[in-house]
Parts: sequence; structure tokens; C-alpha cells
Amino acid sequence: MNSPASGDGIDVGIGLRQPHYRDWAERRPALGFVEVHSENFFADGGAALAVLAGVRETHAVSLHGVGLALGSAVGIDDWHLERLARLVDRVEPARVSDHACFARAPLPGSTTVVHGADLLPIAFTPASLDILCANVQRVQERLRRPLLVENLSAYLSFDDADAMAEPEFLAALTRRTGCGLLLDVNNLVVNAINAQRADASAGEPVAAACAFVDALPAAAIGEIHLAGYCDTGELVIDDHGSRVHEPVWAVYRHAVQRLGRVPTLIEWDTDVPALEVLLDEAQRAAAVQREASPRQAAA
Amino acid sequence: MTALREAERQSRLLGALLAAGPAADALAADLRERDHRLQRGLGAYRANAAGIAERALAAAYPTVQALVGAEDFAVLARALWRAAPPPRGDLAQWGHDLPAFIEAERDFDPWSYLGDCARLDAAVQRCESAADAELQRETLALLAERAPESLRLRFVPSLQLLASDWPIATLHAAHQERDELADDAFAPVREALAAGHGESVVVARAGWRAQVTTLDPPSHAWMQALHDGRSVAGALAAAGDDFDFNAWLVRALQQGWLWKAEPIEESLEENPS
Repeated sequence: MNSPASGDGIDVGIGLRQPHYRDWAERRPALGFVEVHSENFFADGGAALAVLAGVRETHAVSLHGVGLALGSAVGIDDWHLERLARLVDRVEPARVSDHACFARAPLPGSTTVVHGADLLPIAFTPASLDILCANVQRVQERLRRPLLVENLSAYLSFDDADAMAEPEFLAALTRRTGCGLLLDVNNLVVNAINAQRADASAGEPVAAACAFVDALPAAAIGEIHLAGYCDTGELVIDDHGSRVHEPVWAVYRHAVQRLGRVPTLIEWDTDVPALEVLLDEAQRAAAVQREASPRQAAA
Repeated sequence: MTALREAERQSRLLGALLAAGPAADALAADLRERDHRLQRGLGAYRANAAGIAERALAAAYPTVQALVGAEDFAVLARALWRAAPPPRGDLAQWGHDLPAFIEAERDFDPWSYLGDCARLDAAVQRCESAADAELQRETLALLAERAPESLRLRFVPSLQLLASDWPIATLHAAHQERDELADDAFAPVREALAAGHGESVVVARAGWRAQVTTLDPPSHAWMQALHDGRSVAGALAAAGDDFDFNAWLVRALQQGWLWKAEPIEESLEENPS
């Protein structure tokens, strides 16, 4: 299945979303893998699962979750974990991932736990690390496989005297749990641009994001995400609604030079364009892999 | 710093995001951002949540959205999000409260049928996401072998039943997406509402998509009794003398409603999921 986006150690995929199901079935494009959001396939049956079974016949699948809320102090939802385990058994995915975020908590004055349906920031403190490690370990034990945990874009941050640097926090997570990391380059750039706008001394965004990549344990990074962001003027929002921006490509090039040909996903979740546009972005990512990590070409 | 404090400040942040007003002082003490940057950050998360709420609810309740219009539906989605936040990380599990929420909202009083229209949309969703199952044809031999008192008919898990005092099937049909709208697509709705009669429906899959079909009262009574687990004899009694079992059986087999027949004393709680 060699193509500009697969073969010769090149491993690039796209997120398969509902608007592309028909086009996908007709074209079956040659890609290294296909990513889907796990929660979209939690149903007992129906068309979506049938589509996914068809995809799995020809492509590796990466299951990417948005709802485990791994950093929630209240813990993991049993129902969610069981649905995910059932899906993992059905799909036998190449990778399973979710985010270093919280979303589950009881509202103040209540004992009923609700879910914010968002990727909310966690503190980078020893106590928060204990919570994240316990939840990741529980998921890994149930799934009987290592998880990839993704770094966030965040628009708020907890104020802590004993906070750790985020790369140090993520490295400690991998050491303690054996999990891998999903490096979202777009999130790094979004955070770096917003940090510079809040405080000019924070550093040039591409350089700051590259330094973040350099501070991570290279061997732990199992997948990279690329996406577009939206610049509102005041704040840059990680909306996955456009082509990958140039600063993100620049950091990705640096990441591939350091990490090699890590499986890379083109993510596009809002204002989803024609499948052709995603495939075009995937080809550009494959070209970066070839240029930036040529020594693996014969591997 | 303790796990308890992490839990408390996660609770405060989530509470602030689900509230409509500015951040409480306690939240401001938790976060690095202050004043304008704090409100801007909260605004980014709240805007994302509003978009998620609107898209998730519109996907589940397209008929309600078509009836009230996109703008009012967006307001409704945000109100439901605050009043009954998602219980789980799977958004398909959110919004089940919408029919009752609509019926409790005074603004929707003139549209008394809206709650049942929402119930029908929800039935369509359940139908399309239920476990897949096919007719176990060999079990139909039990219809000739067993007394109706000791026999039960089971429907495929995707089948849904609904009865309403309103013409919900007619309302549903008139508000489906289509390439071209007929000159007077809503005439049947006006006629049905003017006639003041309700409709009972079965929702079942045609391929992967749900199809809404009206049922006459005897057929609905029969199917509801079977759905509730009653024996064939009990369901026949509920259906009454006007019910034609043979005609119904042909229709049920053609439409793929039946899963299997099973003896009552040997039946096990069993689902194909």
C-alpha cells in the first residue's frame, strides 16, 4: 500500500469523520493508518461500527479518545472504560490514546459527577501527577496495553508554587506508568503563541515549542498530531478547522529530525473539508518525514 | 498540595464553566490568569461547550430543530447543557432529558406536540445505534408447536414503539431533510393537527437508517404487549378482536421486526450486544 503517505517507513494518517464515509469507501486511499474518535463508536451496533469494521479490513486504526478525562481527581468512569475496552477488543487498534486533562467532577455543593465534554487543564503538580498516574494505570490494566497520553492546549492554568514544568511532568508520567506520549504539535504552538501574547518574555513561539519537544523523552512518543488553529486576535484557539499553519510545520520538521518517522495524524474536526484536502495535508506530512529523517528511508 | 485540593479546584472550575455569570472569587484564586485574561479563558471554554451542545443536540433531535428553528434550538441546547450537564464522556448519552425539559419550558407551551416529537427523534437515535440482530428463522417453528400462553415473540433490539396524542409521524415526515420541498409539504401536518388525532408508531431499521411507520391501535397494543414481555396469548388479548395476526406476521417478516420466538419457561435474559 505504498503511496506518498505510506510505505518506506512513512506512516501518516488522517482522522476519518462521518462526512467522509462515502468518499472513503469508494476510494480507500493508501495511508499508514486511520484515526477515529473512540466515543463515536461506543454504540451497541449500527452503521458507524459497520463502517469502522470495513476500514479495519484495509487499514490500521488508531483509537483516539476525548472523554476518559484521565486527570480527573474523581477517577475514571467505569461505564466509559468498559465501552472503550469492548471497542478495543472489536477493532484491535494499532494505538489507543486520550488526553492529559480533566473533565469529570461533581459540581460545587453536589455529589453528582458531571462531564464537561471538554479537555480541561490539569495542574502540573505532584498531587495532580499522582491522580493522572493512578487513572492511566487503571486504564492500561483494563485494556491490557499501554496508552498514549496527549499534551493539551489550554486557555487557563492553575497557579501553583510547587508546579513542575510540563515536559518534566509528562516524562514522570511515562516513567511511572509505562505509558507513551501523543505529541500534539499544534497544541504546543497554540500554547506558545498565547504565552507570548500574555507575556512578551515567554519567547518566540516556534523556538519555545521546539524546546518543549527537546525536553520530552523521545522514546516515549508514539504518535504526533498536526492540525489547524484559529487566531481570534486576542487568543489562538485549537479548533482543528483549517490547514496546518506554517509555525506548526516548522516545529513538526524539528520534531521529525529529533524523533524520526513517528506515526503522524492530520486532524480536522470542524468545518471538515473534502477528503482530498486531508490527503493533500497527509502528503505534505509524508514529505517532511522524507526530508527531515532521510536516514530511515531504507529501514 | 493534596489530591483533595485538586478535586476541589477541578470542581470549582467545572462549576464556573457551566455557570452563565463571571468567575467567582474562589476560582480566581485557583488560577494564574486574572481579570480580562481569566474571563477570556473562561469564554473560550464556554464557547466550545456551547458549540458542542448545539451540534450534539441537533444530531439527536433534527425534527425538533426543524420545528423551532436553528436560533431558538441553539438557545435551548445551551439551556439544557447548564440545567442537565452531560453525565458521561460519550455525548450520545447526553440530551435524554430534552422531551421533559421542553414540556417544562413555558416558552414552548403553544407547541404542545414538541415533547413527543423529541421522543420520536430519540427513538430514531436508539434504533440506529442498537445492537445488530437478524431473525432467527428456525425459532418460528415454535408458533406451530407451542401454546400461545407459553410462547413469546421478541423484537430485534433496534425496534422502538411510541404512542402519542399528537400526529408525530406526520410531523416527523414533514420535517425531514430533502432536496426539494413540495409546494405544500406541510398540508398533511395542518390537516392532522386540525383532526386532533394521535399517532402510534414503530421505528425500525431499513438498512442502517431508521424508518418511522404508523400503526393502527390493535397492532400497537399487540406489539407493545410483546415488547413488555407478555406471552403471545396475553398480547393477543391486549390487541383485541380486530387484530389480524396473520397479516401482521407477514408485515413483521417483511419489515425485519422479529428477532425470534422463544418458549417462556426456558427463556433467558439475552441480548445480542
